[in-house]
Amino acid sequence: MADLSEFEVFVFGVGSQDMAFDVEYVSIVIEKTDITPVPRAKKNVLGVMNLRGRIVPVIDLAAMLGLSSKDSAEGKIVVVNYEDIETGFLVERVRGVMRFRSDDVEKMQKFESFGEKSKGIIKKQEELIIHLNVGKILEELTMSS
Amino acid sequence: MNEQYLSVFLDESREYVQSLNESLLKLEKNPRDEETINETFRILHTLKGMAGTMGFEHMAKLSHRMEQLLDKVRSKRITLTSDLLDRLFAGVDMIDRMINNIASGGNDQADEEDLKSLMDAFEVVQEEKVQEQSVNSQTKEEPDGVDDSVMKVIQEASKEGYNAFKVRVALAEGTLMKAVRMYMVFKAIEDSGGQILSSVPPVEDIEQEKFDREVELVVITKQNAESLHKVISSISEIEKVTVLTITKGQGKPNEEEEEKEEEVQEKVEIVEEKTPEQKISQKRRLVQTVRVDIDKLDTLMNLMGELVISRSRISDILKKYNIKEVDESLSQLNRITLDLQNVVMKIRMVPIAFVFNRFPRMVRDLAKQLSKEINFIIEGEDTELDRTFVEDIGEPLVHLLRNAIDHGIETKEERIAKGKSPVGTVVLSARHEGNTVVIEVKDDGRGIDRNAVVRKAIEKGLISEAQAESMPDEKVYELLFLPGFSTRSDATELSGRGVGMDAVKSVVESLNGTVKIESIKDRGTTVTIRLPLTLAIIQALLVTVNNHVYAIPIANIDSTLNVPANKVQKLQDRLVTVIRGEIIPLVKLWEVFGLNGRKEEQYYNTVIVRVGNRKYGLVVDSLIGQEDIVIKSLGKIFSDVRIFSGGAILGDGSIALILDVSNVV
Repeated sequence: MADLSEFEVFVFGVGSQDMAFDVEYVSIVIEKTDITPVPRAKKNVLGVMNLRGRIVPVIDLAAMLGLSSKDSAEGKIVVVNYEDIETGFLVERVRGVMRFRSDDVEKMQKFESFGEKSKGIIKKQEELIIHLNVGKILEELTMSS
Repeated sequence: MNEQYLSVFLDESREYVQSLNESLLKLEKNPRDEETINETFRILHTLKGMAGTMGFEHMAKLSHRMEQLLDKVRSKRITLTSDLLDRLFAGVDMIDRMINNIASGGNDQADEEDLKSLMDAFEVVQEEKVQEQSVNSQTKEEPDGVDDSVMKVIQEASKEGYNAFKVRVALAEGTLMKAVRMYMVFKAIEDSGGQILSSVPPVEDIEQEKFDREVELVVITKQNAESLHKVISSISEIEKVTVLTITKGQGKPNEEEEEKEEEVQEKVEIVEEKTPEQKISQKRRLVQTVRVDIDKLDTLMNLMGELVISRSRISDILKKYNIKEVDESLSQLNRITLDLQNVVMKIRMVPIAFVFNRFPRMVRDLAKQLSKEINFIIEGEDTELDRTFVEDIGEPLVHLLRNAIDHGIETKEERIAKGKSPVGTVVLSARHEGNTVVIEVKDDGRGIDRNAVVRKAIEKGLISEAQAESMPDEKVYELLFLPGFSTRSDATELSGRGVGMDAVKSVVESLNGTVKIESIKDRGTTVTIRLPLTLAIIQALLVTVNNHVYAIPIANIDSTLNVPANKVQKLQDRLVTVIRGEIIPLVKLWEVFGLNGRKEEQYYNTVIVRVGNRKYGLVVDSLIGQEDIVIKSLGKIFSDVRIFSGGAILGDGSIALILDVSNVV
């Protein structure tokens, strides 16, 4: 029996690939702003930004996922709030909130090169969206190296 | 039941349990301390009232029994023995358990058996003691002696036919304008031809109403006790007057008349019938505090931070336009924000006594249990630290104190054999040191057996034998912090220092602190915990390195200098310069940040910082100036970046990273 429950994701693009976070974790999307680099930080961490008086780290999502990206002044920062910790992810473009049915997701087929960082692939008509696992991505970032 | 009242009840009753423990400990040292007996009685009475009001019957009953017992002690019908104190302690523990039970959603239902046997214990004690006492019930309350100088005057006066009396006047409960009422007493005595030689509390205090309800006077007059009593009693709102004759001989007054004594007795009864509500309100007035939700304080702190930032932003903008008219208002705004900032910061700080004061009880119990004699010394309990630490630091300290008493301090026999005092000393101290709070647990016990630790470490495969040889003691002791290094079963072998040490370390580190062990064989062990003050707002010097702004806390800075390049030398691969005969290593910040390949400069802009008692020079591109900054955490992602302690948002909205100087040099 097909799973008819629906879910919403926030879809954005990095390089030529579309990806998505669970919508409940996305708190705000802003234009790329000044990012203060933090020397000696982990790689893929661009630095910190001032988000309404709060200091929020900004992650280079493309680099973290091993994708090439255009290095430009443009781009957006998707701020996720996971377990009360805010983290910004630099992405190239934003498509917005999309609704899918659970049977649109091919859970079996994980996106291999992303490992645990992906929950599965959302496939609808011609679209392929990698559904990212916010928790795992942040876990990897906070892991002490 | 009303939830709102419940939390107040829990908070307050916990406080009372703490106070009870403190007073019982005091009584253990000095069982005749009347003030403390009264205090203990009062607390129990209040607790009973509170528990009754909230409908916690068992707790009320238990407090009532204890209160009765204390009442008998108070009225000298029984004496406090150590056995009795133990039972009282047990009672307090049970109340504590009840409170915890209530807090975790239950009620005050304690184990029926326990409760009953405890109550019976109080009962039995009471009866047997009372009988014992009735045999020699001759001991009467002896009023305190009279000051020597006053005594001389009395002796002089007696030659001229004056009688001397000790007069105790108590005002009625709720008397308004107590000072005026007392003034009337003074005046009445003087009008009747009497003279007041001394008063307790002193007259100045009475004038400022700095007394509870009772005043004690030494009066000389030609009248007799009877008429003096009448004179004073005629004044309204006087609850009780006691007149005692001071005999010339020994300076100890005797009870004047049996009849009066009875009257006193009667009044005492009345005093005791005060309702619990009154008692509570009395207590409140004494302490004058308000309970505030810690979240509200945090919000206040955050708002304070925003305010500081906005203020800086406004003054930045105004500086650009150079408007004279606003200068004064601006400097006033600066002053007010600064004051406000200080106040808000102080609100968050609490004396470490909040953590420390539960330990004397714990140490006592543990020492008793292990039949060791411990002289437990607490130092610096006034040291203030951030409220958020108070909850977290207690547990690690419990571990450390346990270790010190259980494993550090030797048995009496062992100590005597070593030529030490049979009484072991454990010192728990706190002090401020620069920007840190230092907490030390120090014992004069057997110290840590280095060899045992090394053996264990080799056994566990943590180090090789070759490594062990060359390892300095300091490193050896650090092994104790490794998780699972020691288990309970082999704790004694290692002086038990491994028990929970990893837990201690992880808690301290989660508070951004450090912990260190020092130990000398047979001389003792000292564990030192250092915590940051975490003053959320600090003064910092803003500098630039590679066009980015960084902040160096003023507290770390000694001075700033411009060092010419030709005064910089290389010494063992380190850049150094000599300032006033002192060799100071230089650290180029851009190298620390991993940004190399810069051309050499003519001058080095150098900030001299102190780390411990050493000085270092941090080389920067330029100095911007001093500013108040609000420290914000960079978050978990940067937890491995040790060179920064946080970040701050500047007036223009940009971010300055705050250098953790000790990790830079």
